[in-house]
Amino acid sequence: MAEVRITGLHKRYGAFHAVKGIDLDVPDGEFTVLVGPSGCGKSTLLRTIAGLEEASDGTIEIGGEVVNDFRPRDRDVAMVFQDYALYPHMSVGNNIGFGLKARGMPKPEIAARVGEAARMLGIEPLLDRLPRHLSGGQRQRVAIGRAIVRNPRIFLFDEPLSNLDAQLRDEMRGEIKRLHHTIATTMIYVTHDQIEAMTLADRIVLMRDGLIEQQGAPLELFERPANTFVAGFLGSPRMSFINGRLARSAEGYVVRIGDLAMPVPAGRTLDGASDGQEILLGLRPEHLTRSQGDAPPPGCVRHEVQIELLQPTGSRSYATFRLAGEPVIAELQAHDVSRPGEHVPIDINMQRASIFDRRSERAL
Amino acid sequence: MATTVVNRVRRSRLRRIPIFRILFLALCFLFVLAPLYWTFVTSIKPSDDFLASPPVWFPDNPTLVHYNAALFAYRGLNGLINSLIVSISATVLSCLFGTLMAYSLARFNTGGQHLSFWVLSQRFLPPVAIVLPIFLNYRALGLNDTHVGLILAYTVFTLPVSVWMMFAYFRQMPRSLEEAALVDGCTRWTSFWRVAVPLAVPGIVAAAIFTFIACWTEFFFALVLTSRNAYTLPTVFRAFLSFQGAQYGAASALSIVSLVPSIVLGVLVQKHLVRGLTLGAIRG
Amino acid sequence: MANGIAADGRTSGPGRHPSARKSDNWFKWLLVAPAAVLILAISIYPLLFSVWVLFVNYDFQIPGHAYVGLKNFTQVITDPVARYSLWVTVVLSTINVVLEFLLGLAMAMAMANTFRGRGVLISILIVPLFISPIIVGQVWVLMLHSPFGPTNYLLGLLLGQEVNIRWLTAFPWNFVALVLADMWQWTPFMFVILLAGLTSIPPHVYEAAELDGVGRWQTFWYITVPYIAPMMLLAVTFRLLDAIRLFDTIFIMTGGGPGTSTYSASYYLYTIGFTQFHLSRATAGAWIFMILTLLVVFFLVRRLLRAEVR
Repeated sequence: MAEVRITGLHKRYGAFHAVKGIDLDVPDGEFTVLVGPSGCGKSTLLRTIAGLEEASDGTIEIGGEVVNDFRPRDRDVAMVFQDYALYPHMSVGNNIGFGLKARGMPKPEIAARVGEAARMLGIEPLLDRLPRHLSGGQRQRVAIGRAIVRNPRIFLFDEPLSNLDAQLRDEMRGEIKRLHHTIATTMIYVTHDQIEAMTLADRIVLMRDGLIEQQGAPLELFERPANTFVAGFLGSPRMSFINGRLARSAEGYVVRIGDLAMPVPAGRTLDGASDGQEILLGLRPEHLTRSQGDAPPPGCVRHEVQIELLQPTGSRSYATFRLAGEPVIAELQAHDVSRPGEHVPIDINMQRASIFDRRSERAL
Repeated sequence: MATTVVNRVRRSRLRRIPIFRILFLALCFLFVLAPLYWTFVTSIKPSDDFLASPPVWFPDNPTLVHYNAALFAYRGLNGLINSLIVSISATVLSCLFGTLMAYSLARFNTGGQHLSFWVLSQRFLPPVAIVLPIFLNYRALGLNDTHVGLILAYTVFTLPVSVWMMFAYFRQMPRSLEEAALVDGCTRWTSFWRVAVPLAVPGIVAAAIFTFIACWTEFFFALVLTSRNAYTLPTVFRAFLSFQGAQYGAASALSIVSLVPSIVLGVLVQKHLVRGLTLGAIRG
Repeated sequence: MANGIAADGRTSGPGRHPSARKSDNWFKWLLVAPAAVLILAISIYPLLFSVWVLFVNYDFQIPGHAYVGLKNFTQVITDPVARYSLWVTVVLSTINVVLEFLLGLAMAMAMANTFRGRGVLISILIVPLFISPIIVGQVWVLMLHSPFGPTNYLLGLLLGQEVNIRWLTAFPWNFVALVLADMWQWTPFMFVILLAGLTSIPPHVYEAAELDGVGRWQTFWYITVPYIAPMMLLAVTFRLLDAIRLFDTIFIMTGGGPGTSTYSASYYLYTIGFTQFHLSRATAGAWIFMILTLLVVFFLVRRLLRAEVR
């Protein structure tokens, strides 16, 4: 077990700058998820930690020791690959035990450890089979078994679930989380799937273009995104952004969108806000509810809209309407609206809505 | 309406082969087999049948005397043994060195495009241009007419084939397997030796067979670089240059002895043929 | 650790070889080394050595290695046989490659669709590829030899009159014989590559064309040809580079004769170098021939590599 500390890390491939200066501390035993769109450098960062890529600049420390010059085998890390990378010519048992054999562990001990890992993952009956005779989920388990049998200091996962179908992915996600609870080793996990990131992570590191945009606990990123990119990346359906303007009044700030004026609740602070500032109002679908009762709840603004498009999902319905000409998605109860075209009153929760400076796209 | 069109397409794809196509393929078939059949029949004919008109299409009394003459009187057996020694040694060396180099080129892009192009260009140098300087150098080193000399020459001239075939093979092998091995505790060498090589065995076997056939059938280098000692099977055919009737049987018998092994091997690796002929450029 | 996978220690201590990473850099060169060294020693060094030979006397009939300037070159260039042999090489290899391409394409087209016995037929048709060219020549000597071979007799049956062609010794039949042997051996080369190209065309492309009412000739011209054009280029390039070597069949079938009428460039250089032992003159000729070949290699193979990398 060990913590990972990355300082000023750069990775260049010729003219292409994949990682542009990353500082990251992963405390011992934490489950950290690197997430971002494809090409953001998250996989490169992971592979640099594993030693499969050489850092162009900066340092990587594992357990307080700088490992830049260590070969992958000397870093004592284990990695689960996207395509599982099971050795096709070895049985499941030999696949799992290969890492121990490569390090010269005596055979009986290897057998004992492999048996234990297989029992833990429920793949004991498969030990003599070849990988090509396994299902996707079974291969995934073998790949994980190959990692845990080594009892490494760090686990690295490179999009391990992206080749599975939806149902199996949910199942394995649960299992990886359970695994972390059981063995409590530091894990670094790369994915492009924000739901995986939200459900698995102790901490999310959201990356774009080789840089970290924001890091923190999942709900912290979700509820207080640092900028419009983070806000838009997390959450499905996406947050809606509406152009507006801030105005200062006696009671505080008011967000003006067209002729609609929405007071910012008194308890909310806006850092660096000024009168007349151009802003983006960020509304998640769940910030909008169909009005109940005569008056809006505290911190909410009531407004009547016309529903353009309705997408029922069963228990909920996503309703699209326009606010000052811009499309906004609201998540309503299934029976709040019966058909498109209907006029309904909506409560906008200004307590939870995000407000960004329009030019810098940073949260206020 | 739509279904009838689809049906018509279906039916037309299963159309019977037109008669002229059958005729054409039959002619091709005969064109390929006739010389081989004639060679075989000649090799088992008594010499008295050679000048018969109409020709004897199958002898009444088949005989093996021509094989006896080819192998012993014309010393074909020595050539056969030398061919085996030289071809097998050169195949082993070429595939060993070729696999090592191909792996380096495929995984680390060693030397960039220049190195791989340089290796490939060796394949297209005219042999006559290389063999003269080699002959002169071998003379100085005493390597003319030795097994070692011919083995080295064959190794070099088959390296482009084994390197490029194995290069294509390693290229389509997922990189993550060896990376998993590296993280698991292998060095670069053990991940190559214990993961990449075992997976490449089918490709290495195919490359080895092509290399062997290339050495087994090679004539020009052997003609120049060997004479009395290390001469290979193809060079024995020099004896039939000033062609006379008496040699007719021995020439055909020796042809059969030489062509049967390479044909058998060749048909075995038929699946890889296109890849072999195009140095891996086309999958086939 | 709670899970039972014992906490009894690491499988390896954290990096004991801090500088080991650098070893990866020479590992890749180490793998390349044996092959590269061998090529350098057996192919490149002799070539460099032969540059010296070009400008001196190196001749088993004239002792000493005196500097002779460009004499070796002028002797080759002014030799009418040399120029004639180059001409023979160009003409013969062009005829061979064109005929083999057309016949190979026809065979591939005829066999593009599956039918019973197709696999076996392919196995038989490719057999000549695995035979030594010297034996191919020998086999055709057996076939064509007059009076021993059956060819004249069969032609006589076909034409209804006696045929008495001296295939190996009379112009132009000696050239016909050489082309025949070359075609017999190498048409399968074109055939298998073009067949691989044809069978890689997805059938739905043809289905779509048929639904659109495209004629057969148009289908061939606008769908098949563009689709397999890269394979065609590759097959022709590879074949051409081998065809210009042209030696073995000439050696065994005509011996360059009658006279010097079937000398190819390779055969000419072989004769100068290894039957007359004018080694430095042959080396000069070989360099000229090699440079001409390399021009072809650079124009054709470079383009192929580009196409493949893409």
